[in-house]
Amino acid sequence: MTEGNGLMLELKDVHTFYGSIEALKGISIDVREGEIVTLIGANGAGKSTTLRSINGLNHPRRGSIRFEGRDITNASPHSVVKMGIAQSPEGRRLFPRMSVHENLEMGAFQRADRKGIREDMDRVFELFPRLQERRTQKAGTLSGGEQQMCAIGRALMARPKLLMLDEPSMGLAPIFVERIFETIVEVNKQGTTILLVEQNALMALDVASRGYVLETGTVALADEAKALRQNEQVRKTYLGED
Amino acid sequence: MVTEARRPPLPLLRNRPSFTTVGGLTLVALLIVWLIVNLVKTPSDFAEIFLIGLTTGCIYALVALGYTLVYGILQLINFAHGDVFMLGAMMSATVAASVFGLTSGQSGVVVWLAVFGTLIIAMAFCGTLNATIEFVAYRPLRNAPRLAPLITAIGVSFILQNVGLAWKGPNYIEVVDVLPKSQVFDIGGVTYTWNKLIVVLITVPVLILLVWLVERTRQGKAMRATAQDMDASAMMGINVNRTISFTFLIAGALAGAAGLLYALYVTNVRYDQGFQLGLIAFTAAVLGGVGNLPGAVLGAICIGLIQAFNEGLTWHAPGSDWTQSIVFAILILILVFRPEGLLGERTPEGG
Ligand SMILES: Nc1ncnc2c1ncn2[C@@H]1O[C@H](COP(=O)(O)OP(=O)(O)OP(=O)(O)O)[C@@H](O)[C@H]1O
Ligand SMILES: [Mg+2]
Repeated sequence: MTEGNGLMLELKDVHTFYGSIEALKGISIDVREGEIVTLIGANGAGKSTTLRSINGLNHPRRGSIRFEGRDITNASPHSVVKMGIAQSPEGRRLFPRMSVHENLEMGAFQRADRKGIREDMDRVFELFPRLQERRTQKAGTLSGGEQQMCAIGRALMARPKLLMLDEPSMGLAPIFVERIFETIVEVNKQGTTILLVEQNALMALDVASRGYVLETGTVALADEAKALRQNEQVRKTYLGED
Repeated sequence: MVTEARRPPLPLLRNRPSFTTVGGLTLVALLIVWLIVNLVKTPSDFAEIFLIGLTTGCIYALVALGYTLVYGILQLINFAHGDVFMLGAMMSATVAASVFGLTSGQSGVVVWLAVFGTLIIAMAFCGTLNATIEFVAYRPLRNAPRLAPLITAIGVSFILQNVGLAWKGPNYIEVVDVLPKSQVFDIGGVTYTWNKLIVVLITVPVLILLVWLVERTRQGKAMRATAQDMDASAMMGINVNRTISFTFLIAGALAGAAGLLYALYVTNVRYDQGFQLGLIAFTAAVLGGVGNLPGAVLGAICIGLIQAFNEGLTWHAPGSDWTQSIVFAILILILVFRPEGLLGERTPEGG
């Protein structure tokens, strides 16, 4: 709540490149404290690149990113984590040869408060009892759904102010998708701001307060989630309705 | 004791026996027969040679671990590693003689303190050198195609060899001979001398320290995580660059320890020894499964034993002229039969 209006994260005219390919062509996004904001868009629109720009893995060439009033445009990934941004990346990216327990511990790498870490571990196991059963299993041998839970749990272990989730429902059975979205709402209620990238636009817009529609590296639409849900074009293109 | 030179024929676990599998098994069988005949003919020589192999295996292990640590984290074969070891041996020779003023044949507590002091200096020197090499030569190429840092590594190797050449000249330099060669035991004609035992006595605690570091400490965790997924590690708040520097520091320190042991045990050093020993240690790392720490130690001990048996046994041993050829033949055989090494696992899981 540094900026009065509760603005937590602010991307201004961000241009990000892979070599000479301009993946983001001037993106501006706001996330306010306590919100769930969702980024939707077709494959290759630049959703994951937006997250990589924020977390410091791929610094923008132009534009600026501010978090809680501090400029993090060129901050290193580990310092971004320290400031309170954690992420469950696309494709889970667990440490395959570490156990579930160790993976969760890695999420808390920056923290030193043992008691708090233990509490958060219990909280993750409460959210995902399945993980507790599998705590000594190597993460590489978990099922897709279990891996997704582990990836989200790992991000939560950082006790972040802003949690970024990249396609948490990808490849999951409907029952698991439901569970994941319930968890997102639950975590948000407990006070964590969330930036959610989703292919499943319908469910994402249901839980989010606001949304951005990305198209080939630009923001095509930005509105309240409810309004986007009603938007003719969004319904046609992303919700598969007519 | 006999079969420790080679592990059981693992290829059996795979598919149907193919031509190559049968060939490999035949080779292993012949090797075992050869070892058994030698054991029966001259049991006490055999045991003594076994102990020699174990000792050189220790030195190889320290160097092999450096290859494996760096490969594990960057998938880079650090060709300069053997030369870091060589400079470590030269530094040890210099420090032992000039700084601590040791002379050949000297004995007493002073020698132990000086050896220990030299060990620390050699480890610090090689660790710093290796981390500097990473910072200057490899880091700028972090995102370049794989081949670029590999070629750079070969270049650094040549530079270090030339540093060695300029520093100590083209000939073998003598190292002070201070490790006592008196007997530790003599059991039925099998003797074991103190200089060998000291190599083991220094290697084992260093290895234990390394295991503790990698398995138990925060830095070790960061190393393991970075080796498994660099981007994900960064997202966990790990300072990836610092972790890589630290890995090179540790790898270098191990090479420094090996350099000291080599200098004192073999008592001569030359500028090109890093290249030779580096290749042997690299083969050891591949034999054990590159990227696998226990594998590197196991591979190194196997190679140490194979070398000792080859050079020491009397019944139909090819002899020392063939050592390098044999080591390379082993390298090729592993790459054909079991590219993941003795202890490496096939990991389809990607990350
Ligand atoms: N490492 C890379 N090198 C080159 N181009 C890349 C790289 N990663 C992404 N791109 C390109 O950048 C653009 C945006 O990719 P990004 O991964 O951000 O899309 P996305 O919206 O997350 O898509 P998806 O829904 O498929 O995950 C794409 O055109 C992609 O081809
Ligand atoms: Mg994506």
